[in-house]
Amino acid sequence: MPIRGKSLMYFAGVDIGSTMTKVVMIDEAGDLVSAIKGPTGPEYRRLANEVMQRALEQAGLDIDQVSYIVATGYGRLRVPFADKQITELSCHARGVSSLFPTVRTAIDIGGQDAKCMKIRDGKLVTFVMNDKCAAGTGRFLEVTAATLGIKLEDMGELSLKATKKIQISNLCTIFAQQEIVALLSRGERVEDILAGLHDALASRVAALARRLNIEPDVVLTGGVAKNIGIVQAMKENLGCEVMVPEEPLLTGALGAALLAREAYMKATASGEKLSTKPRRLERATFFG
Amino acid sequence: MAWFMGIDIGSAYSKGVILKGLELVAWHIIISGANYRASAETIRAKLLEKSGLTWSDICGVVATGCGADNVHFAGQKASDVICTARGINSVFPRVRTVIDVACQATKVIQLNEVGIVTNFAVSEKCAAGGGRFIEVIANVLRVNLRDFAALAAKSKSPVTLATSCAVFGESEVITRISEGAPAEDIAAGANKALATRISSLVARLEPAQPCAVCGGGALNTTLVKSIETELNIKLLLPPQPQIISALGAAVMAVAAGNSQSNRRV
Repeated sequence: MPIRGKSLMYFAGVDIGSTMTKVVMIDEAGDLVSAIKGPTGPEYRRLANEVMQRALEQAGLDIDQVSYIVATGYGRLRVPFADKQITELSCHARGVSSLFPTVRTAIDIGGQDAKCMKIRDGKLVTFVMNDKCAAGTGRFLEVTAATLGIKLEDMGELSLKATKKIQISNLCTIFAQQEIVALLSRGERVEDILAGLHDALASRVAALARRLNIEPDVVLTGGVAKNIGIVQAMKENLGCEVMVPEEPLLTGALGAALLAREAYMKATASGEKLSTKPRRLERATFFG
Repeated sequence: MAWFMGIDIGSAYSKGVILKGLELVAWHIIISGANYRASAETIRAKLLEKSGLTWSDICGVVATGCGADNVHFAGQKASDVICTARGINSVFPRVRTVIDVACQATKVIQLNEVGIVTNFAVSEKCAAGGGRFIEVIANVLRVNLRDFAALAAKSKSPVTLATSCAVFGESEVITRISEGAPAEDIAAGANKALATRISSLVARLEPAQPCAVCGGGALNTTLVKSIETELNIKLLLPPQPQIISALGAAVMAVAAGNSQSNRRV
């Protein structure tokens, strides 16, 4: 643990995803001082201030002590206390590279999109993404878990108990839901259906990733990477080893914090004064 | 006397008709449910009951739809494209293009002057391309599917739905509701979004007129109007748009004639 109070400057990255809001705070040296995840909220999605508050409490800091704040994720434009907005692609690339310096391909499967990024020397080179169809995203698992009557977080472990992999023939999430009902009524085991669902999602994401030339090392991030069944299925579908950070949800926020620090240091070195927003923890405003 | 049966087991609804020659004697529609074989049985029983016939009066049966394999008493199976074409041709002999808005997908079929299929296009196997999209949105709006068209018809300014995925569309609609958009504008927006996708499918084929619309989606009159607006053409609407494929299957049974192999006991 870093010794708090020694650092003069702190930086924060706020990643507002469709499902989860993540905050990572680092000190002057770039060491982690806090990391908090909280739900983005089902409808009003205005909980960024609450997650930020919890992160500050964990770090034992006051918001005035945070020198620079970068917001990322699909809700980044509406964070009133963020000084700068950076796309989640750049933040993910930065975050993943800091954890795995040898990474060349980063795949992030979030709640409502999936991105595949090519990274060279810690920088984003190119990317492909799907945010058009739920079938290649975490939403596919959310919907199918609900249909199977199991918890999202139990899917991975359960799928490891499969004795066979049932092919899911429907690409579309809504038709897959229908197919699951038919499979259950035919007496198929939940575990075997799960193995098929994981393979279906992994093969879609792998097909997306193959539009780029996949080079090792491959790192998988995003909430979906917490599902061990998906990690296995991704390894099979990509035909290579896949690394997963300890906290796969936090790479975007970590990258945002690191980029906040870099931007601030660079400006300070050149004697430039960066403009910052008032340090008031207000709710993110999504509508108007 | 010779009576013939056409059975169409769709993913959402099962439809059946009995023809005497080319005269419609009886038709019936039920929800398909999880057991297609049972649905086929129910349809057969209902058709016989409505027509006052017995099973031995039926000279031939043709089955179609995604559940055609489950119609164990059918003598033949036929593709849904062919059946829809035959069905529409028997109602509107001059139709050159038919748009079949079914639950799982939308099909656009081109026919030549004598009713033979010359080309067709099917939407992606994705809920956004067919009637299922409207079902999903109706469910979020808590509107009965039957009342959906009337609700949408009330709209003065339809909302624009940006996503082309039914699952993401669901979330988008929830957002619109929380922003205060009236249900009728959302319903009209959903119809418009589907109509746009259907129109681009139609445009792939360079459609010839007259053009007809059928399938369960054709019961959504506001959707039909939206497609007409998008394509800038008038669409012919059969009186019972849901039974067109079943009707076509029966027409094929009639054409196959009275032979022992045309039905199974």
